Amino acid sequence: MNRFTRSHLLLYAVHIVLALLVLLPLAFAFVSSFRPLEDIYKYMSPITWKTFWPSNFTWGAYQMLFTERGFGQIFLNTFFVGAANVIGGLLLGSMAAFAFVYFEFRGKTLLFLLVLLTFMIPFEVISIPLYSLVNSLGWVDTYAGIIIPGIANGLVIFLFRQFFLELPTSLVESARMDGASWLRVYTRIVMPLCKPVTVSASLLIFIQQWESFLWPLIVTRSKEYKVIQVALSDFVTEYATYWNEMFAAVILSILLPVVLLLPLQRYYVQGIANTGSKE
Amino acid sequence: MKLKKNIGSILLFLLPTLAGLFLFKLYPIFSALVQSLYTTQFFTGEKSFVGLQNYQSLFVDPVFWNSLKVTLVFNLIINPLQIVLAFALAMLLNTKIKRIAFFRGIHFVPVAVSVPTACVLWNIMLSPEQGVVNSILVALGLDPQPFLGSSTQALGSIIAIASWKGVGYWALFLLAGLQEIPGSLLEASSLDGASRWKQFIHVILPLMKRPLTFIVVAVTTANFLLFSPMYILTKGGPENSTNVLMLESFNNAFLYSDMGRSYAIMVILLLITLTVVALQFKWLRTSH
Repeated sequence: MNRFTRSHLLLYAVHIVLALLVLLPLAFAFVSSFRPLEDIYKYMSPITWKTFWPSNFTWGAYQMLFTERGFGQIFLNTFFVGAANVIGGLLLGSMAAFAFVYFEFRGKTLLFLLVLLTFMIPFEVISIPLYSLVNSLGWVDTYAGIIIPGIANGLVIFLFRQFFLELPTSLVESARMDGASWLRVYTRIVMPLCKPVTVSASLLIFIQQWESFLWPLIVTRSKEYKVIQVALSDFVTEYATYWNEMFAAVILSILLPVVLLLPLQRYYVQGIANTGSKE
Repeated sequence: MKLKKNIGSILLFLLPTLAGLFLFKLYPIFSALVQSLYTTQFFTGEKSFVGLQNYQSLFVDPVFWNSLKVTLVFNLIINPLQIVLAFALAMLLNTKIKRIAFFRGIHFVPVAVSVPTACVLWNIMLSPEQGVVNSILVALGLDPQPFLGSSTQALGSIIAIASWKGVGYWALFLLAGLQEIPGSLLEASSLDGASRWKQFIHVILPLMKRPLTFIVVAVTTANFLLFSPMYILTKGGPENSTNVLMLESFNNAFLYSDMGRSYAIMVILLLITLTVVALQFKWLRTSH
């Protein structure tokens, strides 16, 4: 065996081990979510093939989540919060980026630096002081409290700005010559060209919102407004031994991001690659 | 002239976003600085100015010092670990072998798994009595471990869980950077007789400075403020071994209703994070 194929074999071996490390816990959760509760502990030790295969297949865990634990409401909440953030974030972010690219005004550079600064501040840092503000606005335990503070998003402004800068300026100039208003230029000329960046930004916002934990944890109290990540963490404290349901809840919380990300992976990577090459 | 005509449009396009950013992003930081100088009366809810008293009381409190120590130890381990692993993974995913796209896809999967989800999943996997990880250890002839239940293993377990979720994501950024390195450059250096290691140090690393700077800063800020694993898995225990500053600040605000103390911790945490990030920036600029 020559050196070339041996190093390739080693590479494949490493890749396979790493792939198992990433996938096995998820595959195990998937399989276990279809087990009745009493079977879960039964085959865990000692390890046999039965540990990794549901011999008594059942949808019971998923049924329980939706009938008894209120996951229907939780899903609706998470969807609603995500969708509102995507729509609001895209609209405000693209308009602000439009202004930064096509308008000339005093203090523009300084304002844009401030925008960059806001997207480098992690949400965790401001979450507790933000709570006091939202509390004084009377938005604790409302949809407004979960949604509105996140809508103005520096990252989205940045992504749209990068895209606008690459569009030919003659396009906008000639439309302005013809007497089109700025609002018309934005809605009819620039935005229709923005499909790729709109998809990237929507994905980034939605995934970010889907995964957010600290803010919804702080700002909501009642079951009515609970979102998926907070519900998951509550589940650990309340029903720690219902492993089949916990596995099912884990699978449910991963399902939607996977379904969105797998076909749209290219756009997501483009989006984060654009943020990575900033400066 | 042009400016005057535009003012209406500028306000229409820019004002909503800027108002949102100022109110919900910048103002809270400013307010944390100010509020850390106040204390709130527990019964009346009245606020009174106390100057640096919140900070002074922190500096004589062993709970705070322990929490600071845990935060620093946690970050001293997890940040270099995740950066090195992400770089190694990105290099592995950048090799030109068949089916590499498939392997890249696999490491993209944890992007869909949030940190809280990863915590819930691994919490069951690592269960001391019946968890599958201990079953595997036993099957291999090893002793079962307490993992999150032990004060010596809990922090390490959290580091492992956070890295399982995070490394693939960080590697994505680095992979994007690696793919921009022209192949001709690497060929030329290997024709000149450079070893793999020399090639890495003198060709790849300097060209990766920009994505690397981004990763180092992003990883650091993410981990200094990491909160959900401790909140979900250990609540800071056992024996305060995972009580990081972010959790301590959260507990002071929402468990003990001591907002002034919570803000003071937040400000200290912010200062530490900014200092570390600034030092990293400086170091990455001057090296190479």
